Amino acid sequence: MSFQAKTMITVLLLANAVLVVDLLRTRRLTESYTLLWLFVIACTTGATWADGFLRHLAWFFGAAVPLSALTLLGLAFILVMLIFFSMKISKLTKELKDLAQEVALRIPPSPSGDSRE
Amino acid sequence: MTAMAGKGIIVIPVFNEAENIAGVIGEIRAEGLGLDIVVVDDGSSDRTRQVLCELPVQALSHPINLGYGVAVQTGMLHAVRRGYDFLVLMDGDGQHVPGEIPKLLAGLEEGADIVIGSRILSGSESYTIPPLRRAAIRFFSFLAKALGGVDIRDVTSGFQAMRRDVFSFLAREYPVDFPDAEVVVMLGLKKFTVAEVPTQFRRRERGISMYSSLGTVLYYPFKSFLASVIVLLRLFRERREG
Repeated sequence: MSFQAKTMITVLLLANAVLVVDLLRTRRLTESYTLLWLFVIACTTGATWADGFLRHLAWFFGAAVPLSALTLLGLAFILVMLIFFSMKISKLTKELKDLAQEVALRIPPSPSGDSRE
Repeated sequence: MTAMAGKGIIVIPVFNEAENIAGVIGEIRAEGLGLDIVVVDDGSSDRTRQVLCELPVQALSHPINLGYGVAVQTGMLHAVRRGYDFLVLMDGDGQHVPGEIPKLLAGLEEGADIVIGSRILSGSESYTIPPLRRAAIRFFSFLAKALGGVDIRDVTSGFQAMRRDVFSFLAREYPVDFPDAEVVVMLGLKKFTVAEVPTQFRRRERGISMYSSLGTVLYYPFKSFLASVIVLLRLFRERREG
């Protein structure tokens, strides 16, 4: 991979790191997810500059150039993250549903309680 | 009064039915069925909640809109916790005719665990069902028979009466949206007796149906198919795990 490509990828990753930290600062992201993303950014930056690792990765995936291997790795990671977040959203949706039902059931029925004809 | 022994309740899930619900409640009361009525407001954004406060019914309100299935499940949970013996489920848009409730209850008395009011069965009186909808009903009825062994012509009908065993079971596990075919499959696989009786249905006069949007038309068949198959897979797993 050329020095220019490595620099461009690194700049993009650093911009991402700044964004993630800013999201934490403005309370739009929790510490756990910020750490997760910073870990991913650090790993990707490391992989970008580790020529030997990328060559092995390209050989393993059967990719023509190391950059393709890195792209493939990124796509696989995004897929895993999407499934993870879909599971997380499904769990939160169920919890929200259970909570809202409990709220509806705990507030006494209005107005008379007994509607028998 | 109904001849059905035990304490019964009519569950009516509603979302933005301010224009229809008072009429529906009035009709039910005019029938003199001797059943309690609970209306579950699924976070309506119109005047439904205010209208319900002025009606002689038990009203439960979701703080947010959660979907038709969740509103039904809340009504079932309420019935379980308040010790009801049987439950009638009907819509709040005026399509279901309260005068037909005794027919459903008669089915329970004859031994069924759940009775579905049909628009399609011979002897039914219904508005003309659009061809696409009719085809979907046929397909899902076939699916319910193939996967759940339940021979029902109108699996998408929300006009139902059920015994405590059934609504106690469904109160634990009920689909969030479009609880049609998969519920029938689920009940069939759990060996509940599902019966069907011909009933009268009317066309909705005011308000918007939950089946009216293009997104729903596209989403509904795939969701129902997937959910029905998943019910089967879950049961296989349950049986394998003992």
